[in-house]
Amino acid sequence: MPDDFDKDVYPVPPRRTPADNKQTSLPSPAVIASKLFYYSVDLPVTKFRECIDSIQSGNKSVYYHQRFRRVPDLTECEEGDYVCYYEAEMQWRRDYKVDQEIVRILQERMRACTQREGDSYHQNCSKELQNYNDATKAFLSRYGDLGAYASGRKCLMKQKERMMDAQKA
Amino acid sequence: MVGMSVLRSAAAFAARLSPLKSGNKVSNLLTRTIPKTEQVAVRWGHGKQLFVVKPSGYYDTRFLRLLRYYILLTGIPVAAGVTFINVFFGEAELAEIPEGYEPEYWEYYRHPITRFISRNFYDSPVKDYEKMMAAIQIEQEKGEHRLAHLEVRRQMRQRGDGPWFQKETVDKGLIDHSPKSTPDT
Repeated sequence: MPDDFDKDVYPVPPRRTPADNKQTSLPSPAVIASKLFYYSVDLPVTKFRECIDSIQSGNKSVYYHQRFRRVPDLTECEEGDYVCYYEAEMQWRRDYKVDQEIVRILQERMRACTQREGDSYHQNCSKELQNYNDATKAFLSRYGDLGAYASGRKCLMKQKERMMDAQKA
Repeated sequence: MVGMSVLRSAAAFAARLSPLKSGNKVSNLLTRTIPKTEQVAVRWGHGKQLFVVKPSGYYDTRFLRLLRYYILLTGIPVAAGVTFINVFFGEAELAEIPEGYEPEYWEYYRHPITRFISRNFYDSPVKDYEKMMAAIQIEQEKGEHRLAHLEVRRQMRQRGDGPWFQKETVDKGLIDHSPKSTPDT
């Protein structure tokens, strides 16, 4: 079966079902409903999954996460060395994708926390909110208005403008 | 007098009947039986049967029939194949790269069909990267050679001590110095 989500990152809120205080001998409708759901949905799906897993157990394959070597940056390339420019550009694009995914993950954690806490998210989710806001501000300041034809050179020029503004201020 | 009006109305009635329709001949007029109303063939089904005048739906149905046929002609084998692959060869699972092992380039993809296409039809991404870098290096060297060529032309034209920009002149030995070799007498 595929793994469940990480319980540390997305903590499951404590259950609030009240203690059993049965005063009748009739079965409770919650139990009936849960049994109905189990036999009509849960059991067939689990059996189907186990069947497929047993068929696939013979030809299982694995895939790996590719790791790229770090190459010299655009600032460390000599002028006119277009091969160095190309490698720096490819590295910058990979880093751009990685940064997008980082912001996406932080956003998802913040949304999960908001959904969990409901109306009290302002105080209970402050850490996730702070993380997400910081990450978004940093992302926008670095990659903000570069557009669809973003490139390492344009990002470097934007950084230069940022440093000039910081120096002026 | 009453007989006169009955005859006149009968004559007017007979004149209104069309002589072309069968049963309206003179011989039949007096002897035919009037059908009784309860014997008319009326069926109380879904209402009165109407002849709806509408444009031909043949071309529309033909188009839809052919569309379904040609889409399903390859759609069904493709769907069957992909279902077979997904049921019998599942998607790969993520694993850590073992020590000292360099995975092949197709082992970085998850779906078995993607792995198959990458293994059999595409070059490895490393090879594509190197091809791109080789093309860039060739173009860079071409650009550098062109700039160097222009600089060499400039220098040789300016200094005049190189093999370029030399003008071919007549051989010195062919000059006849005899008009100038003796002073004027």
